Amino acid sequence: MKKLFAAASVLALSTTGVWAQELQIYNWGNYTNPKLIEKFEAETGIKVTITDYDSNDTALAKVKAGGHGFDIVVPSNSYIPIWVGEGLLMETRPDQMPNFKNVKAEFVDVDWDPGRHYTVPWQWGSTGVVVNTKYYDGDINTSAMFLDPPEELRGKINVVPEMGDVMSLSIMYYGGEPCTNDKEVLKKVRDGLVAAKQHWLGMDYGNLEKFAKEDLWAGVNWNGSTFRMRLQNENVNYGYPKEGFPLWMDSVAVLADAKNVEEAKTFQNFVMDPENAALISEFARYANGINGSEPFMPDDMKTAPEIVIPAELVEKGVFTPTCDPETQKLYTRIWTDLQK
Amino acid sequence: MSEPIRQPRRGYSVRSLPGFAVVAVFTFFALYAPILILVAFSFNAGTSLAIWEGFSLRWYAQAAANEAVQEAAVRSLILAGVAASVATVAATMAALATTRTRRFPGRTMIYALINQPLMVPEIVTAVALLIVFAWIKVATGHTSMVYLISAHTAFCIPFAYLPIRARLETMDYTLETAAKDLYASPWKVFSRVTLPLMWPGIIAGYMLAFVISLDDVVITEFVKSAGQETLPTFMLGQLRRVVTPEINAISTIILAAGAILVSLFFWLSRGRR
Repeated sequence: MKKLFAAASVLALSTTGVWAQELQIYNWGNYTNPKLIEKFEAETGIKVTITDYDSNDTALAKVKAGGHGFDIVVPSNSYIPIWVGEGLLMETRPDQMPNFKNVKAEFVDVDWDPGRHYTVPWQWGSTGVVVNTKYYDGDINTSAMFLDPPEELRGKINVVPEMGDVMSLSIMYYGGEPCTNDKEVLKKVRDGLVAAKQHWLGMDYGNLEKFAKEDLWAGVNWNGSTFRMRLQNENVNYGYPKEGFPLWMDSVAVLADAKNVEEAKTFQNFVMDPENAALISEFARYANGINGSEPFMPDDMKTAPEIVIPAELVEKGVFTPTCDPETQKLYTRIWTDLQK
Repeated sequence: MSEPIRQPRRGYSVRSLPGFAVVAVFTFFALYAPILILVAFSFNAGTSLAIWEGFSLRWYAQAAANEAVQEAAVRSLILAGVAASVATVAATMAALATTRTRRFPGRTMIYALINQPLMVPEIVTAVALLIVFAWIKVATGHTSMVYLISAHTAFCIPFAYLPIRARLETMDYTLETAAKDLYASPWKVFSRVTLPLMWPGIIAGYMLAFVISLDDVVITEFVKSAGQETLPTFMLGQLRRVVTPEINAISTIILAAGAILVSLFFWLSRGRR
């Protein structure tokens, strides 16, 4: 009871503002390393509060409605043009901040924020294929693993029901560009997916256990999630389709109506420091976009094949843009056909 | 010529009809088996949700030591306590006004309006509240817990109202009339006769409202401002990435708290009839 009361009074105090400076971060749930926040608070004296969201859409809807009280948000690359277009982000010019020199060259001139006038890299990852190599020992760096699966793997395949990722992988497999509206390619994609589906066991999320127990042998999956699977079962391997595979990146942005602007900018600069970026990766197990963070990373991440893309396949990774609504409609139709 | 009406044969019961047992077993299985599995794996020694590695309380210890869980839990309890209290007072007044008065036009209408939040899909209420509260938040710059408290109070009222009204309907006017005949003032009648008699209904209503507020996800997710994570919205955020039995442990604690309150609710609404 006493403890409860103490906790309650701490809560009451923290809302009345004993700390001189504060920062309200709105981020994906279970995504922010508590050690990172402790370090930030210790170094700057700024009190941080984290509130979670569970999807890009929830975050966008709440911030758009207004009156949210947040300073910082961490949207995915394909959503950032929407945030900027709606005037929801502040042009904080991270490219002029002292730690910007640490940002990896390939993440500076990105499609969704050319020259980084709004956002700072948080974490990035890829969508590829997962294969248990105990059951199949051929080349796994191809989308054929799920679109034209080898005999051995049939009936043991799971494809994550993520329309954007699966469509991008399939379009690139059949020779198109992500967001294409070329009907010929899309017809091949549709027929290919529908034909491949008979070899799949399911289209579900959250299959870590099933891959670890070898109930599933192959499928489409994210790199960080596959990394955690391999830690439980060393036969689980991640493949980067040579036909092309989608990449995503979440980036730290300051909201246009933020109350604690200076604190938020301090945070943007803070996460571009290599040691701090390593803390971000250590917790959520995805790569960050900061040079020199590797020495600070946990040993099992430095060389993890799920984190370090093989040099000959780096070029094949594509940050998927936001497709125009007409194209999106076509994709939804194909997706619906696939679900039937 | 008409046949004499047959009495049902002795020993007739629905139990002898085909299908009932199968449906019952299946229903209970579908309802409770997943929950039992969730509870069982909250005691798993390993980090897996599917492979049993021995009994341990480590996930309970981890949840209890997790500051984010503590903060969210305290916030949830305070929110549920305040919202359930306000809702119960309002529901008690509403129940008195709809049962202890002569029938007036529009009474059924009022009854329907009080229970309306039970019928509206939660997501509709949530989006509506998001928009309206956002206006107020922008206009006033005020973003305290007041919004969550009023939203929770609003959807808790019908849950508190139903048991209180049920209790009042089983009480006839005899004792209140007798008190009035003995020159008790209206307030005395209420405080010495009506209120003590309806007390079990009020407690039951309070507890139901408390559990409903404690469990809410959708409305809370949309209404919460910065730093107002409750236990259910915290859990929702955790689910996106790796799920450990810590979530099972937190769920089991919420489940146990809810089960205790609901049992008390049944016990109170049965007793003293």
